[in-house]
Parts: sequence; C-alpha cells; structure tokens
Amino acid sequence: MTWLIWRQHRTEVCVLGLLLAVFGVTLLVLGTQAHALFPGGSARCAGEAGLSDACTTSFRRLDEEYGFVENLLAAFYLVPVLIGAFLGAPLLARELEEGTWQLAWTQGVPRMRWLAAKLTALAGVTVVLTGMFTAVLTWFRQPFDTWEGRFQYDAFDLEGLVPVAYALFAFAVATAAGAILRRSLPAFGVAFGAFLATRMPVALLARPAYATPLTAMEPVGADGPADQVGHRPVSGFADWTIEHGYADATGRRLSSSEYYELKDAADRAGADLLQLLHARGIQQFGVYHPADRFWRFQLIEAALFVTVAVALIGVVVWRVRRRMI
Amino acid sequence: MTAPEFALRTDGMGKRYRKAWALRDCTLALPAGGVIALVGPNGAGKTTLLRLVVGLLAPSTGTVEVLGHDVTAGTPQTLSRVGFLAQDHPLYKRFTVAEMLRFGRACNPRFDQGLAERRLAKLGIPLARRAGMLSGGQQAQVALALALAKRPDLLVLDEPVASLDPLARHEFLQVLMGAVAEGGVTVLFSSHVVHELERVCDHLVVLDQGRVTLTGDIDTLLTEHRLLVGPRTSTDLDRTGTVVEAVHSDRHTTLLVRDGAIPVAPGWQAQPVTLEDLVLAYLRRTSAPSAAVTPVVTA
Repeated sequence: MTWLIWRQHRTEVCVLGLLLAVFGVTLLVLGTQAHALFPGGSARCAGEAGLSDACTTSFRRLDEEYGFVENLLAAFYLVPVLIGAFLGAPLLARELEEGTWQLAWTQGVPRMRWLAAKLTALAGVTVVLTGMFTAVLTWFRQPFDTWEGRFQYDAFDLEGLVPVAYALFAFAVATAAGAILRRSLPAFGVAFGAFLATRMPVALLARPAYATPLTAMEPVGADGPADQVGHRPVSGFADWTIEHGYADATGRRLSSSEYYELKDAADRAGADLLQLLHARGIQQFGVYHPADRFWRFQLIEAALFVTVAVALIGVVVWRVRRRMI
Repeated sequence: MTAPEFALRTDGMGKRYRKAWALRDCTLALPAGGVIALVGPNGAGKTTLLRLVVGLLAPSTGTVEVLGHDVTAGTPQTLSRVGFLAQDHPLYKRFTVAEMLRFGRACNPRFDQGLAERRLAKLGIPLARRAGMLSGGQQAQVALALALAKRPDLLVLDEPVASLDPLARHEFLQVLMGAVAEGGVTVLFSSHVVHELERVCDHLVVLDQGRVTLTGDIDTLLTEHRLLVGPRTSTDLDRTGTVVEAVHSDRHTTLLVRDGAIPVAPGWQAQPVTLEDLVLAYLRRTSAPSAAVTPVVTA
C-alpha cells in the first residue's frame, strides 16, 4: 500500500515539497538577516526593554527593511489550506473520475483498509508539510512578534497550531467534496471556499469569545501627551485589545457622541482636552485578552477546525463503508 | 477449501438508487465452472448486478453469496478470489504497465506476476509504456492480464468487448477463452450483444428492466424452446401458458413455445430456435406493454 500511495500521489507531494522548500530557503535567508538586527536575540527587546534606544533602532530598521515581507506573509495563511486541499481533493475524486475505484476496491485489499491507509498517509503528509511551513514562519516572525504580539491576524493565523488545523480542515473538506462531487478540481474549490467562508466568522466573531476578555480601566492622567489620547494602550502591547474608549467616573462607557460633546466643550473653552477629561474624572478603558492566552486560544481554535475535519472524514468513511460510492 | 457448487447465489437481491430500482427480486444460482453470459439491453441493470456480485455495491434487499461467502463482508479472502474487469477497463493512466503489475502484486496475496508478464509479452505489450498511451485493445488486455494474474475462481467482466474494434475483440475473447480452457475459473460477463454467445457460453441470464426474465443452461434452454409454425390463428388454446411469443403474418402464425418436446398439433411444424431469437423474444415480451415492439437488442 505504501508504494501505491506514493506512486499515486508523488506528483502532488513533490510539487508541494518543492514550493515549500523554495519558500523555506527564502525565508531562512531573509530571517537570518532580520534576526541579525537584534544582537543577542529579539527576546531581549520584549516588554519595557523594547523602549531602549538600541531596541527602538532595531525595530525601526526591521519595519523599514523587512516590513514588506511581513505584509506579504499575511496572505500566506492560505498556504496550509492549499496544502490540505491539494492532497485531499484527488484522494477519492480522481479514482471516481477515472473509474479506477472499481479497480482499487476489487483487489485483495478491503476498501476500508485502503481508505484508512490513504487517509493516514495523506493527512500525515499534510501535517508534516504544514508543520514545517509553520515552524519556519514562526521563527521568521519572532522579532515582529516581540514588537506586535502574537494575537494580530498576521501572526495568530500563521503560527502555532492553527495552520495545521486549517490544513486538516481543508484536507477533510476536499476529500468529502471529492467523494460527493466525484471531481478533483471542484472539490479543491469547495475546500478553499469553505475555509474562506468559515475563517471570517471564526476570526471576527468566535475567536474574541474563546474566553471572557479582561477590562482595564484607569483615570485619564493630567499630564499625558495629548497626541496619545485614544492610542495609548491601557493593556500591554502584546495583548489583544478588542475594544477601547472612555468611560465616566462611575465606569459607564461613553458613546462617541458623548465623547465629541466633551471635545467640543474643550474646544469652546479653549482648554486642553486631556485636562478637561482629567477634571471630569473620565477614565479610559481597554477590553483585551492578555498575551499569555495565546496558546489557550490556539488550542481552542485548532480543536474547532480539527473537530469539523474529523466529522467530515467520518462522513467519508461512512459513505465508503456503506458503499454509497 | 472445498469447491463450492455455485459460483454465485443471490436471493431476492435488489438495488435501489434513491427512488428508482435498478434491480429487483433477483434470485440466481449460477454453477461453478464454465462461462455465464448476462444479457440485456442498455440500462437493464447489468452493471448494477455485476457490481453487486463483486461487492462494489451493497444490495438494498436480499443476499449475495459468491463462492460460498457473503460478498458484502468484503474479506480479503473473498476479494482476492474474484477478478473484476469494469466497463471501459479502467487503469491508472499514468502508471506504466510494469507499475500496474506492481499494483496488482501489492494488493493481492496470490498475484502471479510471471503469468501476467508472459501474457503481455505474448501480446507484445511493452512493460515500460504508460497505460494511458496504450490502444484501447491493449488497455483491455492489460486489465485482463491483471485480473487473471489474481488467479481468481470467479472472473467478472462488464461489457468487456463493447468498446473494442473487431480485431481487438477477437483477440480479447481468444485470451479469455484460453484462460477458461486452462480451467479452474468461472467467467461471468455481461453483454448487450447476443451474437456469438452460443459459441462461447454455457449458461445464460437475461436481464430486462431490472428483472431476470430468463436463466438457465443454454443447451437446456435451446432444447426446451422451439418455434411452431402453422396456419394463422389468434388463439391457441392447447398451448396457453407455454407460449413465449406469438408472431402473426398474413397467412401464418409463428409461436415460440417452451413445452419440452410434446407432439405437434396437425398442420403445425416444429423448428429449433436460435439463441439470438430466444433472447430477443424474451426481451420483447417484457417490453410488450409498450405498443411499439422494436428489437432493442442488436446483433
């Protein structure tokens, strides 16, 4: 079976392997240079230390010289999906398309064993390829993460466990769609569409709700620099701020119209806005997930996608067992 | 393992796709050894029946027993004793012929690589050629060599020669019959071509609109049936119940009867019936309710 699976899928595996190798080498070269901006490692610039002169210079150069790579990589959250869908789509669809399922399932290997071997091997390749991709990318992003935290969409979706989960999700959707549609290419498309349709609501709606966010509130200081009003994070820089704004002395959040009334009042009185806010006891608040929830969130999101993948594979197994194909 | 008496036994076997029945109430007992032809027009349910026999499909009703084992269990033992050649003889098009043989060896414990190589060498099919680059006839031969190298006890072929040109068809049947002559294998094949069956087959199953309309040993069927030609008549009271088909011309009536060999009434002449006429008569009978009696089976 091992030889057969390799012979049937070596083209996909080789193409993906080659693309990922090129990608990996490029990223290793660029990453080595980017890491060299931080003598002694970027971790030393984490937190308050990041405000030191040396670290600030390093971060600025990182942003100027490698910021474009980071922006490019933001679109690479689709690579795991590509890997999974590319390996999953032909698993059953190609056999059905070419009629060879009748050949494969009338040999001495029972179809359930055939299916188990194929699913294990190709899901395994999906995990390995995605894992390597994610490892290189996570390493490359280290200095960026030190600066920006790991909760941004261009970090969270590309690092840790979720890329592997995305890949398995795409693999399962593509396999199931291939079993039902009996065509590789539409199955590939369905997997891509399903991921895009799922990912948006998950990232925007579900992810912030994986845990109850914390709220930090502190009175507006009298002497804070005015240009940082509304930008100064109440929470830490690596935390994931979901919402921030102003609240009155009792903690009731101000609507934007109330905020602008205050701003107008300050303008009319010719007073500094900060002074006014301070005088009225206005507080600024931030709703956020602390940075140390990263792995917890990764686990939850990965579990979510893997559960769907397992359910879909279950459907495939059930259909093949019931001889519905 | 003792050789089972029957290569195939089905009891009330039926297959339903969503709402429509592709096959209903199919009860068969086909003897081991020899060649069995499954005949019927397109859409009669032949492919469905064969896929049920090799376990590619599960029956909606009834049971299927192949070589004495329930085929739906799908055990490696049963699977490796049944060879199957699907319609249009699918192969992995990107595999070379040698790789197709390796596939067979990897998937079957009893695979006889040498046998397959000898057969292909005799036919001049190069092992290094990709399967997709072979002619239709050669692809059919590779698929057959693959199926025969399993050393199956039952070989099932779905319309094996339908897509082949006359020469390739002849060669294919020659190889197939050669394998039968070597003994030990029961062959079940479907065809919508009735022509030439008599020469090749021992047993016949006629399938129409999802039902078995006739089954039996061909020699016996031909002895039991005969044509009676006599003066034109609209009824033939003596023989109601045994008449398969009555054809009236201006002056004569021709009856196809299944009555063994009881004496012929005065004024009537008995003639033997050909297999082709017999099959056509049974097929016309099932489609009789629709007024147009057109021969759906072509030779």
